[in-house]
Amino acid sequence: MLKSKTFVKKTRSGGVMKIVREHYLRDDIWCGSEVCTECKQESTVLQRDACIESDLCCFPHYLIPDTNVVLHQIDVLEDPLIRNVVILQTVLQEVRHRSAPIYKRLKDILHEQEKHFYTFTNEHHRETFIEREPGESANDRNDRAIRVAVKWYSHHLEKGGSDGPKAVLITNDQGNKEKAEESDLLVYKCEEYIKSLIANPELVDRLALANDEKNDISSSKVLFPEHFPLSRIQVGIKSGTFLQGTFRASRDNYLEATVFVQGEGEDSTEVLLQGLQNLNRAIHQDVVAVQLLPREQWLAPSSVVLHDEREAKDEDATEEEEKEKAMKNIADDAARKPTGRVVGIIKRNWRPFCGMLNSSLIKESTRHLFTPADRRVPRIRIETRQASALASQRIMVAIDGWPRHSRYPNGHFVRSLGAAGDKETETEVLLLEHDVPHQDFSQAVLSFLPKMPWSITPEDMAVRQDLRALTVCSVDPPGCTDIDDALHCRTLENGNLEVGVHIADVSHFIRPGNALDLEASNRGTTVYLCGKRIDMVPELLSSNLCSLRSNVERLAFSCIWEMNNKADIVKTRFTKSVINSKASLTYAEAQLRIDDTTMNDDITNSLRGLNKLAKILKRQRIEKGALTLSSLEVRFHIDSETHDPIDLQTKELMETNSMVEEFMLLANISVAQKIYDEFSECALLRKHPAPPPSNYDILTKAAKSKGLAIHTDSAKALADSLDVAKVDGFPYFNTLLRILATRCMMQAVYFCSGMDSDFHHYGLASPIYTHFTSPIRRYSDIIVHRLLAVAIGADSTYPDLTDKHKQSALCNNLNYRHKMSQYAQRASVAFHTQLFFKSRGILNEEGFILFVRKNAIIVLIPKFGLEGTVFFDSKDKTGPKLVFDEEGPTLMVEQHTFKIFDKVKVTISLDDSNVQHQKIRMSLVDPVIPGVSVPVTEVEPPAKKPKLDC
Amino acid sequence: MATVQLSEAEKVYVLHGIRDDLRVDGRSCEDYRHMEIETDVVSNTDGSAKVTLGHTAVLVGVKAELGKPRPAAPEEGYLEFFVDCSANATPEFEGRGGEELGMELTNTLYRVFNNKRSVDLGSLCISPGEHCWLLYVDVLLLQCDGNLYDAISIAIKAALFNTKIPKVLISEGEEGGTEIELSDDPYDCVRLSVDNVPCIVTLCKVGHRHVVDATLQEKACTVASLIMAVTPAGTCTCTRKVGRGSLDPESIFEMTEAGKRVGKALHGPLMSLLLQEETLGKKRQKVGFLG
Repeated sequence: MLKSKTFVKKTRSGGVMKIVREHYLRDDIWCGSEVCTECKQESTVLQRDACIESDLCCFPHYLIPDTNVVLHQIDVLEDPLIRNVVILQTVLQEVRHRSAPIYKRLKDILHEQEKHFYTFTNEHHRETFIEREPGESANDRNDRAIRVAVKWYSHHLEKGGSDGPKAVLITNDQGNKEKAEESDLLVYKCEEYIKSLIANPELVDRLALANDEKNDISSSKVLFPEHFPLSRIQVGIKSGTFLQGTFRASRDNYLEATVFVQGEGEDSTEVLLQGLQNLNRAIHQDVVAVQLLPREQWLAPSSVVLHDEREAKDEDATEEEEKEKAMKNIADDAARKPTGRVVGIIKRNWRPFCGMLNSSLIKESTRHLFTPADRRVPRIRIETRQASALASQRIMVAIDGWPRHSRYPNGHFVRSLGAAGDKETETEVLLLEHDVPHQDFSQAVLSFLPKMPWSITPEDMAVRQDLRALTVCSVDPPGCTDIDDALHCRTLENGNLEVGVHIADVSHFIRPGNALDLEASNRGTTVYLCGKRIDMVPELLSSNLCSLRSNVERLAFSCIWEMNNKADIVKTRFTKSVINSKASLTYAEAQLRIDDTTMNDDITNSLRGLNKLAKILKRQRIEKGALTLSSLEVRFHIDSETHDPIDLQTKELMETNSMVEEFMLLANISVAQKIYDEFSECALLRKHPAPPPSNYDILTKAAKSKGLAIHTDSAKALADSLDVAKVDGFPYFNTLLRILATRCMMQAVYFCSGMDSDFHHYGLASPIYTHFTSPIRRYSDIIVHRLLAVAIGADSTYPDLTDKHKQSALCNNLNYRHKMSQYAQRASVAFHTQLFFKSRGILNEEGFILFVRKNAIIVLIPKFGLEGTVFFDSKDKTGPKLVFDEEGPTLMVEQHTFKIFDKVKVTISLDDSNVQHQKIRMSLVDPVIPGVSVPVTEVEPPAKKPKLDC
Repeated sequence: MATVQLSEAEKVYVLHGIRDDLRVDGRSCEDYRHMEIETDVVSNTDGSAKVTLGHTAVLVGVKAELGKPRPAAPEEGYLEFFVDCSANATPEFEGRGGEELGMELTNTLYRVFNNKRSVDLGSLCISPGEHCWLLYVDVLLLQCDGNLYDAISIAIKAALFNTKIPKVLISEGEEGGTEIELSDDPYDCVRLSVDNVPCIVTLCKVGHRHVVDATLQEKACTVASLIMAVTPAGTCTCTRKVGRGSLDPESIFEMTEAGKRVGKALHGPLMSLLLQEETLGKKRQKVGFLG
């Protein structure tokens, strides 16, 4: 039977279009129930004895939730207890429209067999399809469609006998419920139903709090101004009275935030928000509308650190006001920034937050405050009866809403992640908090892996160059299993050298557009944590088929240069190839071979040739103005059994590190040039913008304190002045300066060549750059491989590859994932450092002052690559006299003046007073300042057997 | 134009019949042939109608689009016509064969309909000088069996009656123009008044008399014909003479009077038919093109 659906739509160009879709109705859509004898279905989903102990329904029944129940109570539906649910197509479509993440979760439930969730395509069923009536809103029609389907179900199931299961509609809409009751349907409110489940009271915790204003009589005082409706906001934004931007809460001050307003082109501004009223219930990452305050009310950002640590009380607003007043320091006009207030929320960006419960002081209370791990997110009030059990656990909580009269947002418990302090739990938390996709690869993804045993086919050989005879070897850090690059070097007959960089041919295995490709592009990068790796592609590829291990035949993408002895490139060519690596070396092994004059085999000669060229290349690069920066990277010695860190050392750099790096850079630059020549509009490149001059203020000030000048006009000038900046008797000074210089830099980013005009890579002093050499761990490299393969005619193209807008969107995701993976990595190192110090007890170490702040100094301990803050003021007692001079910058504490780069001695200990935010605490030992520094504590000898029960 | 070849004897037969007010198919001189009308036949238009008159069949679709009013008439919307002489109607239209006829028909339709006395163009205006609806009236000839003008005009009137224009809301932007918003209810639409929309009556001079709704045979016997647009009130809004022969003033007068009479009589049943169809609502079994 054919029906048509008609609707009118406004087109983007402002026209109005009438769209007619054909809609077919069928009579072969089955009900999915085991009891049904009428439907000719092959397999059933809904069980015969769909019993769940409930006060309300003591008979077997199937639940049919409406859209709002699914949207708000998805956490309940996900519970394994809830089974035998019919999801109507109407509901599914509406959910898909309203919230993509919830739609995905719902789809996941539907696929799970144990859940017995059935999708009933009521919109295509002959008896349950209804047409919209005149004067009926779209929502009313959908509600009616749901009721009609429930009606159909109850009639249909009755035919199987009166003791068979019944259909129960779950809705929270009063009007819908009444109408359903009128037509004799079994209908309950979600809360009503869940509370009736006798056996499982804990499910109630997962119920999202309904925005039932009248239920909440506890505090009727309105704390926040109202949000404007969306229509008014849109008008305001158009006319320029409101500004739209992303809300970014301050990490250090819960009463302060900024809104980043993206302007046209480079013209973007930041609006400062201060005070609870002005923040007006916005939460970090929300898209909000702000209104600027008149200029005379503009404020300067406060430099006070404030944490919301009060008990859950709504009344003491006065205290808040005092704090707000304290913040408003009298600032001169220059420091004032545009200040505004939030007038409305355009899009909430809530996700489930990880954190811990602060149990209420009252024992029987079911209302508790939850403190998220992310300091930028306010505390959330949840209702739970398992507070005592959850108290020491990391849990996830979702926000349901933030009424105007509540000091905190309301939320509900989602799930527990495990005991706090536990390594697995903490790793899970930091992955979730940094939005790192880390689930196991789905079956769909794995289905695109090559079948094992895998071998190179003659077809592969036919289109590839056979380089198996070459003496190729790989040099990597120890323990590396995803080897994506290998090198070779040999002397040609004409005296020139042939150098090859061979990169794992990942794009051969990952074909564009399939599930494997989509998953990899979403993950964007492999994330390396301490003792754990979150792969971008399944392990079979990353550690086996793509990994260029020694003595196996592997597919590669090779970049081969002919160079003369001065390392000038005579010829460059790219080819898909087959290689057979002769050795997988570590940096140290390779270094030993080069240094050992007795060795003269092919591999060693090849390495020597490479090393010689690399030195020339490096010199050339530095002459052009490439920067050598420094950051301390630490490496943990991990106990092989307990996986706990037992020692910590900074990574050493050897000549071979820079040898490999040099050729990777060269390959990246060569490839970048090639793909840009071939695809000027859609090449995926990487740029590193030059930092604005103001970024260097801290560096020049620091150097000036030692009587040195740093020139920052160009990369070259900077590199040169860094090279000559040395202080006698202070060998570490240069490294410190380079660490500071690193902090001044901008973030390097991927971009699409058609969307930008500035390609320059500042740090490498290269006019063009991309990433080609690590396709196993970076998705950008896979795209670059595909582009290059098309450029040399080795592979075919596909539409998305040459679509610059899609390319650009991909770059945004890659940049985001890259940034997040770095943060996750840092967080992981910080956590392991804490574990380490926990086992080591208190240590005394020497360090250097890296920054001087108003009330603290930041000290770097080179031995551990650890940075910590020594505070001079404390909460409880009156602090010492502090005089801060911004020019130096110097800080005078009582009699002693601290300058940048001063050598100090500190004790290091773990501060675990706050389980959620454990931190390394440093206190001053030397210089001795009475009342400030602490006496030298005896260093506890490390326990013979470090016992870690965290 | 589709023509038939007639022998002298046939012509005399037709001529004599008309002289005695008895035409070949039994009609009298001021009778129309059997006519069928169905509206809302093409779902992706805003209004449509199909008319068959004898074996002549035309389909008219009306599509409303947002546009800018013409500078000369800032408070009016306007109509655009296009006549497609498909080769389905007659093999002569194949290739560019139908183009000339199409142009001629289109020009006549502009003259007849595209003025505010015929169609309520003012109601098509959304905001003066800025937004208006423009109606694309597309005519498709499905079969030619004489008297195209009358069939097309009736189909256009029916299609305009059937046209449902989505309701739009104009919100004033604080600065810089207006913003158009669409209602999300598909039933929320405006109708066009067709009270003054004329129909075309073609009168063919055959011998000393004149006939309406000439068949192809009669057409072959005609020396000249008069095309007139007649409103439901019986006013003649437009006349045009076609054909090679000449008409003497007296017979023009006679023909005009007859045209007004016939036209006025045509509107009544047409409107009642359209209203009757409308009351059947959505449940009506559609006949379409296969019925």
